[in-house]
Amino acid sequence: MSTPDRSTHRPPRWFAPLVVWRGLVVVGLGLLLLLRPGLELEGAGGAAALVANALFAGLAGAAAWFTYRRRHRGRLLGFATDLVLAVTVGGLTLNRLGFFVGLDSVGARFNQRILWIAPILVGMGISAWAERGGESRPAVKRVGWMVSLAGTAALLLAMGILGAIPGVVGRIIEPVNLPWVIVALAAALAARLGRSDASAEFFATDQRQAEHLDGLVFIAPNVIGFLVFFAGPLLFSLAISFTEWSGLRPPTFTGLDNYADLLSDAVFLRSLRNILVFCLVAVPLTVGPAVLLAALLNSKLPGIRVFRAVYFLPSIAGVVGVTLIWKQLFNATVGFLNYTILEVTGFVNSVAGTAITAPQPLWISSANVAMISVGILFVWQRIGFDTVLFLAGMQGIDGSLYEAADIDGANGWARFRRITVPLLKPTTFFVVITDIILALQMFNEPFILQAPSTAAGPGNSTLTPVIYLYQQAFQQFQIGYGSAVAWALFVLIFGITLVYFRRQGEEGFLKA
Amino acid sequence: MTKRWTLLLVALAMTLAACGSTTETTEPAAATTTEATTATTTASTEPMEDVTLRWMTRPDNPEEAAVYGSISDGLGLEGITLEYEPGDNEGSSYQDKLLTALSAGTAPDVFWIPGTDVARFVQEGAILDLREYAAATGHSDADFYPGPMGHLTTDPATGQPGDKLWGLPRDVSTFGIYVNLDLVAEAGVDNPLELEAAGEWTWDKFKEVSEGIAAIGGEVKGYGQSNWWGPNGAWINAAGGNFFTADRTGCGLDTPEVAAGLTFVSDLYAGGSTVPFGEDPETPFRAGTVGMFQNGRWATPGIRTVEFNWDVVGLPEGPAGPGNWLFWGAYVVNANTEHPAEAWELVAALTSTDVQAQVSALGANIPSRVSQDALDAFLGFTPPSNNQAFLNGLANNPTTEGPLWAGSWPEFDSVQGPAVQAVITGERTIEDFTANICTEAAGAFGS
Repeated sequence: MSTPDRSTHRPPRWFAPLVVWRGLVVVGLGLLLLLRPGLELEGAGGAAALVANALFAGLAGAAAWFTYRRRHRGRLLGFATDLVLAVTVGGLTLNRLGFFVGLDSVGARFNQRILWIAPILVGMGISAWAERGGESRPAVKRVGWMVSLAGTAALLLAMGILGAIPGVVGRIIEPVNLPWVIVALAAALAARLGRSDASAEFFATDQRQAEHLDGLVFIAPNVIGFLVFFAGPLLFSLAISFTEWSGLRPPTFTGLDNYADLLSDAVFLRSLRNILVFCLVAVPLTVGPAVLLAALLNSKLPGIRVFRAVYFLPSIAGVVGVTLIWKQLFNATVGFLNYTILEVTGFVNSVAGTAITAPQPLWISSANVAMISVGILFVWQRIGFDTVLFLAGMQGIDGSLYEAADIDGANGWARFRRITVPLLKPTTFFVVITDIILALQMFNEPFILQAPSTAAGPGNSTLTPVIYLYQQAFQQFQIGYGSAVAWALFVLIFGITLVYFRRQGEEGFLKA
Repeated sequence: MTKRWTLLLVALAMTLAACGSTTETTEPAAATTTEATTATTTASTEPMEDVTLRWMTRPDNPEEAAVYGSISDGLGLEGITLEYEPGDNEGSSYQDKLLTALSAGTAPDVFWIPGTDVARFVQEGAILDLREYAAATGHSDADFYPGPMGHLTTDPATGQPGDKLWGLPRDVSTFGIYVNLDLVAEAGVDNPLELEAAGEWTWDKFKEVSEGIAAIGGEVKGYGQSNWWGPNGAWINAAGGNFFTADRTGCGLDTPEVAAGLTFVSDLYAGGSTVPFGEDPETPFRAGTVGMFQNGRWATPGIRTVEFNWDVVGLPEGPAGPGNWLFWGAYVVNANTEHPAEAWELVAALTSTDVQAQVSALGANIPSRVSQDALDAFLGFTPPSNNQAFLNGLANNPTTEGPLWAGSWPEFDSVQGPAVQAVITGERTIEDFTANICTEAAGAFGS
């Protein structure tokens, strides 16, 4: 591929402002780096912010330089920096303007004025009707569009858009906000310009480079979302885990103290013991029956789909609602479980002439039973989902294998043991890993079964690491220590997954 | 292209609406309270500007949340637009959201916190000292119960009441025993209300009634209480014990009085006449299978839905008399509010007699003001017929719920809770508890 002769290109009018803009970005980030205004975090948090600032300044510097040199790389890097700048500054500015707090109010108002969406729906219906029978009626479609538009305008008016404008404009033009609004808009404009056809032509972007940039644009929302809502908080919690932080004052760097304390924290170690025992018991009790259930459901009996749906229902039901129902079932005095035990025992006694005393387990309040109750709930919720996965795995097995086994005289059990189980290994691996991870992250079920103030259960019997980190962070205001618990749990989950992954990999099927 | 511009326009409009919802002003509704109106005219010495204040409280149920919403609409504070944010209840982790909002700098101007949290919020610099604003309005600390005000005026430097003012109590509550009168009649035991009237409502009689009701058999139990520091501590209080030393700087759980209280309740549960310890007692009580149920005034709205005859009696007298708690929580002002004077005005209005009467009408709370008007209004909100039982709890020298100014209440609670539970369920001897609990809890006091 020949290199385009850029000397013959006369710079368009927007080129000089773009170079100036990118130069200003570098200067601004450099100043931020030197002065560190607003970087209130000290210690690890402050260092992380400093490093991020320096990296971004370097990226912006490279973008400015290559833009000045009229290289495609300048277009690419410039687009990336402008996009990040627009999203970051725009987001922070919206926060300053009260956008995110205001969303709650907008949601509440929308709920109150829900009927105002009726005209919009009517308009959409008219538009759809205009296309019926494969015949297009532009006039009718236009009417539908107009009705929708009018309905949207009416909805916005009903939600108080007119009343909001003066306040918002007043805030935007305040000296503390206006520069940031301008920066966000300029960055957005520069990013738009960087993506334009004129820019592609000027920077002599070839087909491959154009596809590269398009790819970046497509993944940008996901990447930004990942960075902002996942990687950012994750790294923040890692930084915080090296500090003592109540959430109300700036954190104090304490190095590895939190992690050292964890090793001698008897309550944390108890939570680890609880969850490991829970995993060892609950996961096999979920996976084993799920395989058998899948084998039963993997038939062509009439109505079998209904059964499949019924078993799957618990996994799609809301965990909070389901747990509250189980809490009632587990109630020792008026719960259905103990009532059933009582009735069944009474029936047996009356039929067999025995005098068996009906056991009445204290499902939630006994230290010996409380975790079993959590286990019952976990198994009940997961078994349907695991069954569906196994069912899918079974239906992917080549039927000719079973036919060959039939010819060889294998019975049903032999076919299941010699064909189904071995060929389900990839599915089993996935199911076991996801169940282990879910079990290790156990929080909702014990938290709801017990009261929030006694979420650890009788004698800490239902205390899990996640409940412990919640207690530390939100009940005792020790967010740094709570973050350390979270990262210790992460290491545990990662370690178990890695070991299991390698062990399964050695058996070969993961490479298949 | 047209669709794209339309979508952009709608998105822009929604953004404006969202940003505007924190700035726009609406015509305040007419004032509904005389005291609120008084506060409006006298609260601030600064010129009034049109400001928006956000405030949040923790209701105990949706009905209470609705009442607070209507109060917010009706306060009519001049120059102040109120935005009420119904905080979730305790079960929905009100505290988590508040802490997260404070960390993010988005917490409301005025918010409610439990009494046990005041010290932490003060020591972390999260709430404002309101004394200078209160001084300008003729506020008097004596208008409220002295127990909560002691904590709300504490100087963190000394740990003793001083000239600070960290907020005003939203309401107060005490424990009572909700009684299923139908079960009492069916069991043929003495009526607890009559025993109380005769001055015979003692621990022994209480146990006798509980066992008598449980003797009905089947699912019926005599008594139930929830498992947290309040109900457990009520027995300790009635025995003359206390969680803490007199100056609240150390653990007080190793005394003979505490041992006596825990021994009584442990024996009570061992007798089998009760809902098993740790099990939810409210559900079976409302189902009509439990004779007596200890809880605060906040349980009243739920109990009002039952279909049997019921009333409330005070806690039975222990060796040291009728022990009880004075529960409370306070409206405080965010240290980062831009409008401290207006925020104080809101706090004063929210704790006015009339506003407290509106909340009390629901039945969930007792006014935090000591005025006879407030108490008279409370007594009128029936059922239960015997509202006086809660007021007696206030009058009989209750132990005030409070924070630890020289220690960590949550840490103390995380140690004492499982330990007390172990004693009550018989998993730990009282001798072992008495010998070791204060060593186990020493960390909560920084040692």
